[in-house]
Amino acid sequence: MDYIPITENDREEMLKQIGARSINDLIMDLKPPLNEKLNLTEPMSELELVEHMRNLSQKNMIMKYFIGAGSYNHYIPSAVNHLLMRGEFLTGYTPYQAEMSQGTLHAMYEFQSFICLLTGMDVSNASMYEGSSALAEAVLLSSSYKGRNCIFVKDGLNPQYFEVLKTYCEGADLRLVNEIDENTACVIAQNPDFYGNIENLQYISEQAHKAGALFIVCVVEPTSLAILEPPGNYGADIVVGEGQSFGIPVNFGGPYLGFIGVKDFLLKKIPGRICGMTTDSKGNKGFVLTFQAREQHIRRERATSNITTNVALMALASTIYLALMGRSGLINVAKLSYTRAHLLHDKLENTGFKALNKKPFYNEFIMKAPVGSCKKILSNLLKNGILGGLDLGEDKILICCTEMNKVQDIESFVSVIKET
Amino acid sequence: MKLIFEYEEQATNHVPDVVDDKHQGEEEDIVVGLPRDVIRKELPLPNVSEINVVRHYTNISRLNFGVDLGFYPLGSCTMKYNPKINEDVARLDGFKDLHPLSNESCIQGSLQVMWELEQDLKKITGMDAFSLQPAAGAQGELLGVMITKAYYKQKNEKRTKIMIPDSSHGTNPATATMCKFETITIPSNSRGNIDIYKFKESLKDDVALVMLTNPNTLGLFEEKILEISDLAHTNGTLMYCDGANMNALLGITRPSDQGFDMIHLNLHKSFSTPHGGGGPGAGTLGVKSFLSDYLPLPRVVVQHNNNFALDYTKRKSVGMVRYCYGNFGMLVRAYCYIKSWGKNIRSVSENAILNANYLLSLLKDDYELPYNRRCAHEFVLSSKKFGEKSALNIAKRLLDYGFHPPTIYFPLIVREALMIEPTETESKETLDRFASALKSIANEIKENPDIVKGSPYTKSVGRLDEVAAARKPNLRWTVPSQSDGKKNSIKDASSKKNSVSNSNSSNNQ
Repeated sequence: MDYIPITENDREEMLKQIGARSINDLIMDLKPPLNEKLNLTEPMSELELVEHMRNLSQKNMIMKYFIGAGSYNHYIPSAVNHLLMRGEFLTGYTPYQAEMSQGTLHAMYEFQSFICLLTGMDVSNASMYEGSSALAEAVLLSSSYKGRNCIFVKDGLNPQYFEVLKTYCEGADLRLVNEIDENTACVIAQNPDFYGNIENLQYISEQAHKAGALFIVCVVEPTSLAILEPPGNYGADIVVGEGQSFGIPVNFGGPYLGFIGVKDFLLKKIPGRICGMTTDSKGNKGFVLTFQAREQHIRRERATSNITTNVALMALASTIYLALMGRSGLINVAKLSYTRAHLLHDKLENTGFKALNKKPFYNEFIMKAPVGSCKKILSNLLKNGILGGLDLGEDKILICCTEMNKVQDIESFVSVIKET
Repeated sequence: MKLIFEYEEQATNHVPDVVDDKHQGEEEDIVVGLPRDVIRKELPLPNVSEINVVRHYTNISRLNFGVDLGFYPLGSCTMKYNPKINEDVARLDGFKDLHPLSNESCIQGSLQVMWELEQDLKKITGMDAFSLQPAAGAQGELLGVMITKAYYKQKNEKRTKIMIPDSSHGTNPATATMCKFETITIPSNSRGNIDIYKFKESLKDDVALVMLTNPNTLGLFEEKILEISDLAHTNGTLMYCDGANMNALLGITRPSDQGFDMIHLNLHKSFSTPHGGGGPGAGTLGVKSFLSDYLPLPRVVVQHNNNFALDYTKRKSVGMVRYCYGNFGMLVRAYCYIKSWGKNIRSVSENAILNANYLLSLLKDDYELPYNRRCAHEFVLSSKKFGEKSALNIAKRLLDYGFHPPTIYFPLIVREALMIEPTETESKETLDRFASALKSIANEIKENPDIVKGSPYTKSVGRLDEVAAARKPNLRWTVPSQSDGKKNSIKDASSKKNSVSNSNSSNNQ
C-alpha cells in the first residue's frame, strides 16, 4: 500500500522540468548511499494490515480495572471521538497561521479557561506532554524564577513522577532535598496523593512561602477537582498535572495530557504555547498564539523550555469532554468514583483487609491484605477478569474505583477475595 | 463564534446520577463525608446540551485547515497525508483500553508492537537501540543531551559545550540550556553547509556534542558530513542527529553510516502520525550500542519462550523522561505506516525529493534561491527582493488562494525566508497550482502591492493584531461578575434539579 499520487508520466515530466535524468540524479548528494533495500517486511495492503493489527490487539487482555496509579479508566462520551476525528482538527499543525487556524485556537482558549477554572490559577498554557514531565518543567520554571536549585517533594508523589523528576533534576543540576530552607526553589505536593489521601495543604503552602519558595500542587486524578477545593485557594503558585481522566483512553500509557497553570506573576516564565484573544483590523474577535518570545523558535538558548509539539489534540479531547459532561456530569463522575471506592474499601475491611489511609481519600486507597495473601488474591482476581490493583509489596495494594466500576463488579471483587 | 461558556444552561447526562446508585445513603453524605476545608464551594463550569456541544466544535473545526483539506507545505514539519486506517487501528479496544500497569501476560500484543517498531527503526537509521519513551522531538533531544551529560560524567571528562549550526532548529540550543550546556554557534558557508574551518576552530576538548540536522533546515545535505563526524570523534565528541528531516533519507542513506551516534525521529513527521493541531507526537531516540545502557527504563525484551517482557535492570540508565512507555497510540500508527510500506519505504523519500525539486524548479525564477543547489525534501526561498515583511504578506495572501503557507522567517540565516516542504503525498497537479499561486502573488506585489499587504480576505477573520494580544493579554474566559453563584454550587449537581427537564429553573440567560 502506498500513498503517492505521482504517476510514471508525471515523474518523467517533472524530471524533465528539473533538468535531471533520473531520481538517482537527485539523490547523489545523500551519502553514503545504502546499496541494498532495507530489510523490512513485504508491504501490506490495508486489508492485510487490519487483520495483522487486530490479531496483535487481541493478544492484549482488557480487564475490569480496579487500578489507577496515574491512568484512570473513566467513561468517554461518544461525541468526543467523533469530533476529534474531524480532519480539520486532526490533520492541522500548530496554529502559526492564526487566520487559517481559528478552530484549534478557539478550542485552546477554552482549554486554558477550563484549566484555570478547575485549578484556581490565572493562566494556563495550551498543554504539556503528560503529567510527570509537566511537573518536571514546573520545577525548572521555579528554579529559573527563584534562582535557587533545591527542590522539596512532600511524601506521596506518584513514584513514576518522582523518577521523571529525578531525571530532569540530574540534567539541570538541581538537587532533591529533605528540608525547606532559603535555597528551596519550590515545594511539591500531590493532591490527592499517590495513595488517594486528600489533605488541606495550607500549612505546606505557608511553609513554602515563608522560605521564599514557590508552592506547586500536582494533580494526577483531575476529576477530583470537581469536588475538591481548587489548589489556587490554598496557596498554590503553580498547579500542574495529568488530564488523561478528561476524555482520553488509558492508551497503554500515552498519549496523555499534561497541563500547567500558574499565577499571573509567572506568566512570562511558563513553558509552551499560549493562546490569546485579540481583534483583526475590523474589530472582529479572533485568537492568536501569544507571548511567543518565551519560546524556542524565537528565543533559542534563552527560551523558557524546549517544548514545541505538545498534545493539542488531547487538550481538544479534554475540552470537548468537559463541555459534554458539564458541571453536573463532572460532579457525578467525582461523586461516583468517590462512593464506589469507599464502598469497596469498607467491604474489603470486613473481609480482613487492613485500612492504611490515615486521611480522607478520594477514589484510590491503600490496604494491607492478610499476611502472605496478596499475590494469590491478585492472581485469583485476574483469573476472574479483574485487575485488582497495584501490588506495592509487603501485601499492600493500591486500589482505585471510578464510575466504570459497577456495584456488581465490586461485589464480585469481594466474593473472589472471600473465596481465596 | 461564541465560547462554550456562553451557551444556555442545559445538561445532557452521560453517566448515571449518583442517586440512581443502589447505595443511596452514602452519596448524600459525600460532601459532608469529607472535611469542609477540602471541599470546593462552587464549580463554575457550564452545562451545555450535547447537540450544542457537537455543533459548537463542528463549527469551529470549519475555521481550521489541515492536510485533509488541502496543500500544507509547512517546511520542517512534514505535513504528509495521515492514513485513515491507522486511526482506526490505534482505536481498537485492545490497544486503547489497555491499562499500562497491567500484568505482563495481558500486554503481549502492545509489547510486540513496541519491540517490532524498535527493530524497524534500527534498520532504517542503522542505530543499535531505540527508546520509544520521548513524547516529541524536543523530548528526544532532551534525552539525547541528558545521555551525553551522563556519558561524560561516567568517563569523568568535563565537557561543557555543544556545537550547533546557525541554521538549526531553536529546540537544539534550548535543549542544551536545559541541561546547563553552553552553546557554540557554527556559521554556515556559501553552500548552505557548516563552515568547516570555523567548525575546526571551535572544536576544542570541552565540546561534548555536535547537534546537526541532516539534511539541514535549508533542505541541503551536509556535504562534508563524514569529515565532520571524523573530526568530532577524533576529538572525543559525540554526534547527534536532529532527525526532523528523516523524510529525505528513508532507505537512501542511514544516519549511523554518516557517523551519528544518536538520532531522534519525529514519528509525527516522517512516519505520518497526524499532527493534531500541535501534537501528540512521538520523538523516539536511537543510539549506537555504546550508549544503549543509558536509555530510559524499562526496555522491551524478548524472552527465550518468545514472550515479550519489560526489563527494569538498571545499568547506566539516565532514568525515565515521562510516565510509562511512550505515546503508545502514536507508536501504533507509525508501526502501521512502516508495515504498509515495508521494504519499499525508499519510495517515500524519493518522491518527497522529486516533489521538492520540481517545485523549486518552478519557483526559482520568481523568488530568490539563496543557495543554488538541488535540494533534498524541502527548500528555502527568499522574498527579500519584495521588501521587508514580504514573506509575511505572501504567507497571508496564500490563505486566499486556499493553501497553507510555508514556514516563514526560518531558518534565521535567510532573510524573508519561505521554507517549503511539499512531501511525497502531493500530486503534480497540486504542486503546479501552488506554484502558479506564488507566481501570481509575485505579480500582485509588483502591480498591486496593497492587495497583498491587506490579505487575507477570505477567512473568518482578517489579519489579527498580535501586538495587542501581548499588550493586553486575554488568555481565558472568566466568570461574569453578575453570575448567580448558587448555580455553580456543587451540592446541587447530582440531584435531579440539574437534569434536562428542570434546566429552566437554573437558566441564568
